[in-house]
Amino acid sequence: MPKMYLGEFEELMLTMVGILKEEAYGNSIVFEVEAQLGRKLNLSAVHVTLYRLEDKGLVKSYMGGVTKERGGRRKRYFELTSAGLAVLQSLQEQRLKLWKMIPELKIAGL
Amino acid sequence: MSTLPPQRITRVLEWVCPDYLFEGILADLEEQYYCDLECLGEKAARRRYFWAALQFIRPGILLRNKSNFKIITTTMFSNHLKVGVRSLLRSKLYSFINAFGLSIAIAFGVLIYLFIQDERSFDQMHDHKDRIYRVHTVRQDYEDIGDGRGIRMSAYLQTGLAPTLKSELPEVVASTGINSGVSAIFSINEKTFKEQVTYVHQDFFQMFDFKAVSGDRAQFLKDKSEIVLSASTVEKYFGEQDALGKSIELSIYNVKKLYTIVGIIEDAPKNSSVDYHAGLIRAETREYYEVSLDRWTNWNTPTFVMLESASQFEQFQNSLSDIYDRFVQVEIDKWVEESGYAPTGESHYAALNLLDIHLYPDVSWNRVSDPKYSLVLSGIAILILLIACINYIALSMTSSAGKRLEVGIRKAVGGGRKHLIGQFMTESVLLAVTAMVLSVGLIIFFLPYFNEFTNKSILITDHLVTVMLVLFGLSIALGVLAGSYPSFVLSGFKPIVMLRSRSSTKVKTSVTRPLVILQFAISAFLIICSVVMLRQMEYITTKDLGYNKNQVLVIPTYTGWSDEGEQLVNRFKNGVSDNPHILSISGTSNSFNQGWSRNGYRIDGKVHQAYNYRVDPDYIKTLGIRLKEGRDFDPDNISDRTNTLIVNAALVEDMGWEDPLNEHLDWQEDSLGLGWRIIGVAENYHFKSLEENIEPLLIHLDTASGKITTMLVKIEAENVPETIDYLQAQWKELAGDKPFDYSFLDEDVARQYESYEKWSSIMWLSTLFAILIACLGLFGLSGINTLNRTKEIGIRKALGAELKDILIMMNKPFVIMAVISFVLAIPGAYWAMHEWLSDFQYGIPLGWPLFVISMLTALFLALATVSYHSIKAGLLNPADTLKYE
Repeated sequence: MPKMYLGEFEELMLTMVGILKEEAYGNSIVFEVEAQLGRKLNLSAVHVTLYRLEDKGLVKSYMGGVTKERGGRRKRYFELTSAGLAVLQSLQEQRLKLWKMIPELKIAGL
Repeated sequence: MSTLPPQRITRVLEWVCPDYLFEGILADLEEQYYCDLECLGEKAARRRYFWAALQFIRPGILLRNKSNFKIITTTMFSNHLKVGVRSLLRSKLYSFINAFGLSIAIAFGVLIYLFIQDERSFDQMHDHKDRIYRVHTVRQDYEDIGDGRGIRMSAYLQTGLAPTLKSELPEVVASTGINSGVSAIFSINEKTFKEQVTYVHQDFFQMFDFKAVSGDRAQFLKDKSEIVLSASTVEKYFGEQDALGKSIELSIYNVKKLYTIVGIIEDAPKNSSVDYHAGLIRAETREYYEVSLDRWTNWNTPTFVMLESASQFEQFQNSLSDIYDRFVQVEIDKWVEESGYAPTGESHYAALNLLDIHLYPDVSWNRVSDPKYSLVLSGIAILILLIACINYIALSMTSSAGKRLEVGIRKAVGGGRKHLIGQFMTESVLLAVTAMVLSVGLIIFFLPYFNEFTNKSILITDHLVTVMLVLFGLSIALGVLAGSYPSFVLSGFKPIVMLRSRSSTKVKTSVTRPLVILQFAISAFLIICSVVMLRQMEYITTKDLGYNKNQVLVIPTYTGWSDEGEQLVNRFKNGVSDNPHILSISGTSNSFNQGWSRNGYRIDGKVHQAYNYRVDPDYIKTLGIRLKEGRDFDPDNISDRTNTLIVNAALVEDMGWEDPLNEHLDWQEDSLGLGWRIIGVAENYHFKSLEENIEPLLIHLDTASGKITTMLVKIEAENVPETIDYLQAQWKELAGDKPFDYSFLDEDVARQYESYEKWSSIMWLSTLFAILIACLGLFGLSGINTLNRTKEIGIRKALGAELKDILIMMNKPFVIMAVISFVLAIPGAYWAMHEWLSDFQYGIPLGWPLFVISMLTALFLALATVSYHSIKAGLLNPADTLKYE
C-alpha cells in the first residue's frame, strides 16, 4: 500500500468515524469532539473533510433511515473501510515508534 | 410561531448543493437546529442555522456540484439530439419537405442579402469618397409644376464648369469632367476596333483611387497626347508585351489623333459608378473644347469635384447657386432678351456625394439603381422566409398527433416542461441547421446564375464571414421561431389527456388554417404580379410598333458630321445590289434606341417640338412604315432632296391641320418662305420606347440639316449568317478601315425594356420559389390531413362513397382556403401592379381576366398538390384501414 499522508483534521475525522461506529454522521462527530476534546468544530468543515476521505476510499457513506425525531430526515452515515482502518493503524504505529525515540521520555520513564 | 428552520437559506443551499449530498447535509443542520431551539431559543437557533448553512457554500461543496451539473446537461442534450434525429428520420418525407422548403427560403434570403450588400458597396473603394461630389442641375418646368413631373435632373453640365469651379471656389481642391462612353476607333498594329473611351481632366487621378497596374500614377495625363488604358484593353491589344510608351491611333468622330500610352489601370470594378471603359484621355483633346469652355448653354459633361473637407458642403452648395447666376443665368437672360421667348422653366445647380450616386435614380447615370428595387427584393425575401416558416409551424403542429403520445409518456415519467421545450427546440434547430447546410449548396450552385441575372459579379468568398454569420443566425432564429409554437403548446398539455384517448389527438385546424391562408395569399400576390408583368412584357415585345423591326441590321458608319456617311451608304447600295438576300438598304441620322434629336420651333407665336430624322429615300421602304396619305420620297426626284417633309400623324394633330398635304412647316424658322412642303403623312409608329407617347416627328432628306451616320440593311429571314458574312466582306472592301459593328434593330429596341425585363424575370424567379415552397407545405399538410382521416375515409367507402366523393370531401377545404386567400391578395396585387404599369404609356389593362387566370393557375397547382394524397387515400381498401377497429 502506497504511503498515504493525512492532515491533522482528516486524521481526527477518520479517528472519530472509527470511534462512533454506527453512529458516525456529521453532527454526532461535532458533538463527540466537543465532549471529548472540548474543541468546537464547524459542521461544513466536517462534511467536506468526510467527503474528501470518501474520495480517498478511507471511509464510505450510506443514507440512514427516517427517524421519529423532530425533523427526522435521513442522515448520511459514515463508516471506516478496511483501507481506512489500515491507515489509522499505521499512523498509530508510526507515532508510537517516534514517540519512543524521544530521549526525555526514557529518562522520565525510569 | 414557526418552528421550521429559515427556508430562504435552505433554498439557496438546495440550489448550490449537489442533489445527492443535500439531504445528508440538511439532516445534520436540522438536527442541530431543533437541539438549539430547545436549549437557546428560536432566535439564536435560527441565527446559528443560518451561519452554519452559509458555511456550506464553499469550494469543497460547490466544486462537486459543477462537474456533476455538466454531465447531466450533456447527457440530456445528446439524448435530445438522438431522439431528434430519430424522429426526423421516422418521417422522412415531412422532414425533407421542411428542410428543403427552409433551405430554399434561406438560400433566397442570402442571395438577396448579397445583392443588397453589393448595392450598398458602390464607390466605397475611394479614399476621398466623403468629399467627392457630383454636380447636377435641377430644372423646374413652369408648365408642369402641378403634377410633380416637371422636375428634371441631369448630370450633364457645361464643358467649362469643372475648370471654373476649381478656379473660382477656394473650397474646391480638385475637379474633373467625366465624359465616358465616347466611341473611338482604335488602330493598333493595323487592327481596328471600336472601343469606348473617357474624357477626363488631369485631377481625375488625384480624386479617384483606381489602382495603377503600371506607370507612374502621379504623372498620368500630364500631357494632352497621353492615354491611360485599362488592363483588359492592354491585354486585348498587346497581350504579354509591355505597352508603356507605345503609340496608339484613335479616331473619334472621324478625327484621327496619335496618343502615347503612359499608364495602365485596373478595369473599373463592377460596383463603381464611374466607368472609363477602354481608357482615359484628356478632356482638352476633345473637338471644339476651347470653344465650348465659354458656351454656358451647352450641356454635355458630367462634373465631379473634391472639396477640402466634407464639412464645407453647405458652403459649396451656396457657392454653386452663385456660380449658376453669374455664368449660366446671364446667358439665358441674354437669350430671352434677344429671342423674345419667355423662359419655360428655371434651373439651379445641386450636388450629390459620390456614395449617394448609385441609389439616386432621379439623375440618370451609369448603373444607377432604384433603392425601391432593393426594398421590393428584401420584401419578397421576407415573404418567402415567412412562407417557409409558416410551413414549418403548420407541419409541426399537424404532425404532432404522433408526438402527443411521446409527450405524454415523457411527462408521465417525470420529464419537465423545460425538457420538452428543449426536446422540440433541439429538433427544430437541428432541422434548420440541416436546411442551412443544404442552402449553402444551393447558394453556391445558384450564385453564377444570379450574377448573370442581376449583372453583378458577387463572389461568395468576399462575404464568407458575414454569410456564415447570417446563415447561422438565420437558421437558429428560424429554428427557434418555428419550433416555439409546437414546443410551448405541446408541452403545456396534461399527460393524462394525451395518454387517455386517441380521439383527442387531432390538432384543431382553427390554428393552422389562418397560417395556410396567409401563406397562400402571399403566393397568390406573387403569382398575380408575375402574370401581369409577363403579360406586359409580352405586349411590349409583340405590339405592332407601326414599322417592321425584324431582320434589319443596324451598322454605324463612324463618319461623324460629314457627307461621307451618305456616300458610303450609296456605295454599298450599288455594291450589293445583285445579292437577292438583301432586300433594301437605307441610311439614317439616328437609329432607334441610339439617340435622337429634337427641334423646337415657333409657329404663330406658339412653340412646337418635333423629333427629326435625316434619312435617305429608301427609309420608309426599309422599315415598312405605312403612309396614311401622300407619297414616299422619290429617289429620282431631285426636288425631294430639300424642303420636303414626311411627318407623322401626331405632328398633323399637333398643328391642327385639316389637309396636311397642302401645308408647309417652317421648322428651321427661316422666315423667307412658307417653310418645307409636306409630301406625305406616316401613320404613327413607335420610334421611341413604349414608356412614352408618340410625339410629333418629321423626316427629311436635307443634307444641310442632318448627316447620315447609320446604315440600315433589311435582309431575308433565311440564310442570315451567310448574308452577314457577305455584308462584312463587302464592308471591308467599301468602308476600308472602319469596323463592321452591327446589331439587330429588334434587339436594339428590346434593350429599352431591359430593366423591366430583368424585374419581370426576378419576379418570376421569386414566384417560382414561393410556389414551390408553398406547394411543398401544402403537400405535407394534406398528407397529414389524410392520415388523420384515413379511418373516416374507410368508413365512408364502406358505406358506399366513391372516389369522386372522397376527393370532393378532402379537397373542399383547400379550395375554400385558396379562394379566401385570393380575395385577400387581390387588393394588394392590384395596387402594386397599377403602380408598376403607370411607368408605361402603353400598358395592358388590369382587367378581371388577368386575376382569373392567375387564380385558376394557383388553384390548379394547389389541387394537383392536394389531390395526390386524397386519391391515394381514396383508393385504399377500406378493409385494410378498418381492420384494427
